[in-house]
Amino acid sequence: MTTRIDRRGVLAGAAAFGSLGALGIPAAWAQDARIRLLWWGSQNRNERTAAVIDLFTGANPGVAVEGESAGWDAYWARLATQTAGGNAPDVMQMDYRYIFEYARRGVLLALDDAMADGALDLSGFSQEAIAGGQVDGKTYGVSLGANSSTMIVSQAAFEEAGVALPEKGITWDDFAARAAELTEKAGKRGFYGSADAGGLEPTFEGWLRQRGKALYDAESKLGFDAEDATAWFAMWQAMRESGACVPADLQALDQLNIETSMVSLGHAGVSFAHSNQIVGYQGMSQTPLVMVPYPIGGPDSKPGQYLKPSMFFSLSANSGVPAEAAGFVSFFVNDPAATEVLGVERGVPESAPVREALKASLDALGQAQIDYIESLGDLAGPLPPPPPAGAGEIQFALKRINEEVGFGTPPEAGAEALISEATAILERG
Amino acid sequence: MTDATLSVAAADLEAAARRRRILNLVVHGLLIAASVLMLYPLLWMLSASLRPEAEIFGSTSIWPSEISFEAYRRGWFGLQESFGVFFRNSFVIAVLSVIGNVMACSLAAYAFARLKFRGRNFWFAIMLGTLMIPYHVTLIPQYVLFLNLGWVDTFLPLVVPKFLAHDAFFIFLMVQFFRGIPRELDEAAMMDGCSPWRIYWKIMLPLSMPVLATAAIFSFLWTWDDFFGPLIYLNDMRNFTVQLGLRSFVDSSSQSDWGGLFAMSTLTLVPVFFFFLFFQRLLIEGIATTGMKR
Amino acid sequence: MPAPAAAGAAGAERAGRFARFWSANGAGYMFLAPWLIGFMVLTAGPALISLYLSLTDFDLLRPPNWVGTANYERIFTADAKFMASMRVTLFFVIFSVPLKLAFALAVAVALNRGIRGLPLYRAIFYLPSLLGTSVAIAVLWRQLFARDGLVNSFLATFGIEGPSWISHPDYALWTLIILSVWQFGSPMIIFLAGLRQIPTDMYEAASLDGASKSRQFWKITLPLLTPVIFFNAVVQTIESFKAFTPAFIISGGTGGPVNSTLFYTLYLYQEAFGFLRMGYASALAWILVVIIAAFTALSFLSSRYWVHYDD
Repeated sequence: MTTRIDRRGVLAGAAAFGSLGALGIPAAWAQDARIRLLWWGSQNRNERTAAVIDLFTGANPGVAVEGESAGWDAYWARLATQTAGGNAPDVMQMDYRYIFEYARRGVLLALDDAMADGALDLSGFSQEAIAGGQVDGKTYGVSLGANSSTMIVSQAAFEEAGVALPEKGITWDDFAARAAELTEKAGKRGFYGSADAGGLEPTFEGWLRQRGKALYDAESKLGFDAEDATAWFAMWQAMRESGACVPADLQALDQLNIETSMVSLGHAGVSFAHSNQIVGYQGMSQTPLVMVPYPIGGPDSKPGQYLKPSMFFSLSANSGVPAEAAGFVSFFVNDPAATEVLGVERGVPESAPVREALKASLDALGQAQIDYIESLGDLAGPLPPPPPAGAGEIQFALKRINEEVGFGTPPEAGAEALISEATAILERG
Repeated sequence: MTDATLSVAAADLEAAARRRRILNLVVHGLLIAASVLMLYPLLWMLSASLRPEAEIFGSTSIWPSEISFEAYRRGWFGLQESFGVFFRNSFVIAVLSVIGNVMACSLAAYAFARLKFRGRNFWFAIMLGTLMIPYHVTLIPQYVLFLNLGWVDTFLPLVVPKFLAHDAFFIFLMVQFFRGIPRELDEAAMMDGCSPWRIYWKIMLPLSMPVLATAAIFSFLWTWDDFFGPLIYLNDMRNFTVQLGLRSFVDSSSQSDWGGLFAMSTLTLVPVFFFFLFFQRLLIEGIATTGMKR
Repeated sequence: MPAPAAAGAAGAERAGRFARFWSANGAGYMFLAPWLIGFMVLTAGPALISLYLSLTDFDLLRPPNWVGTANYERIFTADAKFMASMRVTLFFVIFSVPLKLAFALAVAVALNRGIRGLPLYRAIFYLPSLLGTSVAIAVLWRQLFARDGLVNSFLATFGIEGPSWISHPDYALWTLIILSVWQFGSPMIIFLAGLRQIPTDMYEAASLDGASKSRQFWKITLPLLTPVIFFNAVVQTIESFKAFTPAFIISGGTGGPVNSTLFYTLYLYQEAFGFLRMGYASALAWILVVIIAAFTALSFLSSRYWVHYDD
């Protein structure tokens, strides 16, 4: 059911203010089968997505798809504004963090019915892949690809300096030594073995899981204590002191994006990222890059990494065309022509037949992603419980506190600050 | 008057002329040095648009290792719509904004500067107050308003406010300048039975060319540079402005086209630069050159 | 029937009062009309709504719930970031505004001397402002002030080894102040327009009286320019309090390192759109409005003593 508002009505202004009490009026546009699709991404992704839209509308006459895109930074302000105005897109790209925030606030449509009646076909997905998009037992997101956290290693930097590349299964201690060796042998001002990942949430989480802890437990509480955090900050402080990783003023250049990462800026031989970003990293680098899993804690280390949906498509709970929107998402993840166009740009496709079919047509970097995901083996554990509300803020706090430690705060004080701030944020929700 | 005093005076004059020449040289020298500081970013951007992608971030040299115009071609044609479309959209929005701002703000400014009416100070304070509200918090109510008017994904939310003097900066600016125009002028006209409208049209506006040109330049530039407004209100790429187009090249979470970004950034400067050159001529007209006498 | 007659008389009196009001004030309100309409629809409504939202827990996605003054209480009692961002913003205002204005005035006066190549210089000096705070400028700025950037290469010729200015908590804010001062084009243009409005015959008369150039500057230029100086000071102060884009673009929206560039509006933006607390962000916004309004009121009070109007 849709409300139509007379657009030219004299009282439109007054109506607008009147409706603000709810600030959540249902989407007012009642055109038939017009799907609005919003995603973040850059040129490459936009082109692929537009091509799939053309394929879809060609195969489904009578359905129009209007694509809108924005860069990551602007995307969330735009989506939040549209949602607040009751004008959320029918299909929206969702991030692993925000899907919980949006789903729990009733913005997203549960897809279980569409999956049951066949409008949304996820038969090629593994159980884990579907579970990645579930919130409180219902499915709110369809994974567009799997990725995992990874180290991006500059092969050339290591080879030129005559230092062996870090290998799968290397311990953190050996990694620190290897990085320090690279710093020393390379002997370039402003170049270090590794980036400082002390403020990176995915790396911290992987390290915690290797210790048998977690970032958050199933009750949305912190899954680690001050002792863990102290050890974490101290480990990176030691690496800063030994020259294994970049000093704090260089690491602070990193804004958690590709072009400001230490490898892209030429300040380090190793950066920490996600596997589907290898394409972007390689684009910024003149020499070959390879992916290596995170170091591990030792022989009794537990699996730290996990396969994570790189992003989802979710449907708006207010969509006027839920069936068509579900059909579009289904087409997006299953259709042979569409998935070939998309490749692994959004991550390795979850559907097993699609993944098989793709292998023949992928380029080297695409192949490297599939290989990397498949090579993780016992380094990858189960999906952690969904992040609680406030996790995004805690991510900021971790980055800031690691910077403080780098600029002189003792690791113990940093750990204490992290625990107290994170606890306060979680309580506030 | 003796010859001696005459020759002393002549020598004084000569010395003064020399001093002035030296001073001029010094001023020019300083201005040129400063110009280099001002021009550097443009040169850097130009160089970034011509060099290989991977060199943009690693290298500090301003000279590219090799020159290629590939980024311009890629930037112009690379998005789903050609960059020409964004130029046209930006141009339409900016020109309408200039017209709207200059008209509506000068009307309000004239009222505040010259007309007497009850509540003038109150409304003036309110007008200043509107300058102080961070736009992030009024954004969503405004969005809901325009959404209900059916204006989302059109230029109207970006243009209509300009015709309603929404940019209080320009009102305040014009008030300050109108108050500098000698009062005797409009008082004399008032005596002759001129209506406020005629005074505004025949006296205030012609004598205010510098400030009107200033307002025109700023309106054009700020509209041209605006990112947040178009981001919220324009959805379809056919309606994108150049700033939205530019941001389409970069996404911090995936692969970006930096060469395209810098190439098109350089191109987007061209219209604003010419607009500035054209309107700055008006800056120097006004009282000083219209032969106004007090 | 007495009652309607009385009502009629009262109505006539009201109409008469209105006619009197209108004949005295009508012209003013006619000229003000576009702004008034715009204000009522575009500003007053949304502003009042945001004031209401500041008393709620609005999260953008669900209808708001009333929480009274809880947001304000939290800001003043339990919000370390509020204090941190206020400190950053005040520091920025105090240093960037006077520096920028002094620069703009000096260049405007220098350019007003009728030297050769004036339009070219003016255009070149306005160039940094034409570039705006775009992504391209952010990339450039980060390269200039990086550890191996141009600034440090320059310092190295004097044997100074500089840090990575832009990513060091002690200096990062200064790079933003320099960016702001470097983009002095807008106040410069306004100063130029103001200088142009000073009648030349005043200088001619002063020259005849034998006043030196510097005396002319202090006795004619500066006093007649005070309305424009006042305008620039007020507007730049307001704009600097609200500064958002430079920090957002250059710090990638984080306000880092260690919150050293966490401008007030950047914090507000994080709360509103990053952490989905629009209610709280609205409360932050209204506190900012009150602070800016206090500063502005003070400058208007002081203006009586130093701003010279012709009327």
